[in-house]
Amino acid sequence: MNEDIAIKVEHVSKKYCKSLKRSMLYGVQDIGRNMVGLYSRSDRLRKKEFWAINDVSFEVRRGETLGIIGPNGAGKSTLLKMLNGIFWPDRGKITVRGRVGALIEVGAGFHPLLTGRENIYVNAAILGMTKKEVDEKFDDIVKFAEIGDFIDSPVKFYSSGMYVRLGFAIAVHCEPDILLVDEILAVGDIDFQNKCLNKIAEIQENASIIIISHNMNTIKLMCDRCLFLYKGTQIKLDNVSEILNIYSKTIFKIYDKKKYRSKHIDIEILDEKNLVTNYLIVNKKYHFKFTIKQLFINKGLLISFSFLNLTNSYNQRLEIKKFSHLINMINNLSFNIFFKNLSLPPGEYTIRIAVSDGDFLKRILYIERTIFFSVMEAKNNKFLNYVIN
Amino acid sequence: MHEIITTYEPDNSLKKGYLSIFIEIFNELKKNRWLTYQLFKRDFLTVYKQSFIGSFWALILPLISVFTFIILNHAGIFSIGDINAPYPIYAMLGMAFWQLFSAGLLASSNALVAAGTMLTKINFSKKSLVIASMGRPFVSFLIQFVLVALLFVYYGMMPSIAIFFIPIVIVPILLLTIGLGFILSLVNGVVRDIGNILGVVLTFLMFLTPVLYAKPTVGILALFSNYNPLYYLVSAPRDLVLTGRSSELNGFFVTSIISIIIFIACLIIFHMTETRVAERI
Repeated sequence: MNEDIAIKVEHVSKKYCKSLKRSMLYGVQDIGRNMVGLYSRSDRLRKKEFWAINDVSFEVRRGETLGIIGPNGAGKSTLLKMLNGIFWPDRGKITVRGRVGALIEVGAGFHPLLTGRENIYVNAAILGMTKKEVDEKFDDIVKFAEIGDFIDSPVKFYSSGMYVRLGFAIAVHCEPDILLVDEILAVGDIDFQNKCLNKIAEIQENASIIIISHNMNTIKLMCDRCLFLYKGTQIKLDNVSEILNIYSKTIFKIYDKKKYRSKHIDIEILDEKNLVTNYLIVNKKYHFKFTIKQLFINKGLLISFSFLNLTNSYNQRLEIKKFSHLINMINNLSFNIFFKNLSLPPGEYTIRIAVSDGDFLKRILYIERTIFFSVMEAKNNKFLNYVIN
Repeated sequence: MHEIITTYEPDNSLKKGYLSIFIEIFNELKKNRWLTYQLFKRDFLTVYKQSFIGSFWALILPLISVFTFIILNHAGIFSIGDINAPYPIYAMLGMAFWQLFSAGLLASSNALVAAGTMLTKINFSKKSLVIASMGRPFVSFLIQFVLVALLFVYYGMMPSIAIFFIPIVIVPILLLTIGLGFILSLVNGVVRDIGNILGVVLTFLMFLTPVLYAKPTVGILALFSNYNPLYYLVSAPRDLVLTGRSSELNGFFVTSIISIIIFIACLIIFHMTETRVAERI
């Protein structure tokens, strides 16, 4: 392996079994085969098995940070656990160079009855530190976690914030050559989160990092390159902005295919010629047609909706108070919102809807993702011709 | 380059060959000594932290068993047989060795299941977990030995000088226990029934093994004892402490060799299959 490469993943696949009883049977079979010196033939699927990760390959250089994104069930955590050696691949090969530290779940090895001090030693040992290392770093860990006098109390008396702070503090003081992070950068309050990000940035100087996150801002901020997984398959590995672009368009396509339907509210986007569309062009004229099909209202109707960009936190919120005089049953109430020239930044969006009773106090209806639409520059009319199967 | 390169691929150990397994296992155990100690400490501290009499719980079960047998013997229901020492000493010694096996097996077979989700969140040596779980039964053994020492003083007796060989003669029973514990902890991880069955089986075995009574000379129990490895592993060390010699030394040596073979075989099987089980815990 090239000395510059810290992690090498070659055509790795992993299968899971949907049925518990079968998984037990297969477990016994596989172990039995290995024991008598036979190969487990793990490269083929048996009944009720499926590939949770299918043919994924990538390399991570020293000092590089790789992000992994994808919707739920894409296989991100499974991949991370394989890199850590908790699970072994069923096909392919993983090679890692150096000590691997994993932030998969903070405080996973804590015992509630032991004191913070005792837990630091046990947890650090489980994470692979030596006694000498822990002795040296003990004060740093306590200071980083901001535990103070509680260090000699059982961790079951800790607040949940203290608990995760201590877990995180131990994990980041391992000084790994490769750090695997699974969506746990957001622990504690804003100050502590900030501290965590700074600490990760410090580790970044000497180590390779792999980060799983649903927060695209984290990915943009921390990563050099990004891997996009979907249903266990590797869609693409590229620089972050390119992947976020593809991610956004893919999510858009997936949801666009699903077609939003609700028994309460319909939404349509119509262009100048009154044709329904969801591929919009910047600075053109559109109107959004909302239809409330059936709803019971006590104190007057308030509607708010937001345009949410799929990859950044861009968020445009509008409130409609025009119907605050309406009460009782509402049937087929339609209204239009006209945009003379739509000035949303290009990208993929969804509309979040909240319907409230009275003064936005009691929420009647809340839909995070209704319809999806895409906004393009006028010149670049071509939507990425890109297919997922 | 001094950095360690690790590879994961299916059937890893088969591809590397059996010889390298021994080196791998040895290195892993050596590297994780401190981890094993920490896991033992965790196990030990947490059990007794919310309890008043703490470690002395270790004495309750053997004492009850011994008292039961004393009463049964007095009532004439059961004959203890021909023994070469005061019965309490004889029985407590036997129970100490027996408990090392039975409590050890119960603890180690539960080691992986007790760790639970920790196994699927952090990658660490699972062998350490099983070995560390033997720590508590071992401490219980030491406490029971203190009681035996007090009994010797009470009866005004001196143990044989061979008592100093105890650290050596308990090695076979320890290896047998850890070996079986490795396998049972794996099986228990996949099929939970093992944990429930084991307690019953061990109680049954205790009554079948001459722990609290002398080996009968005739009958089915005599025959069974001849082929019961636990009989040799318990009685030979006990005889050594009491009289300094044992009539069962041949059986003890044969059983010791069998125990070592079982230990090595189980350790290899555990090494080859531990990751597969982590997925199914």
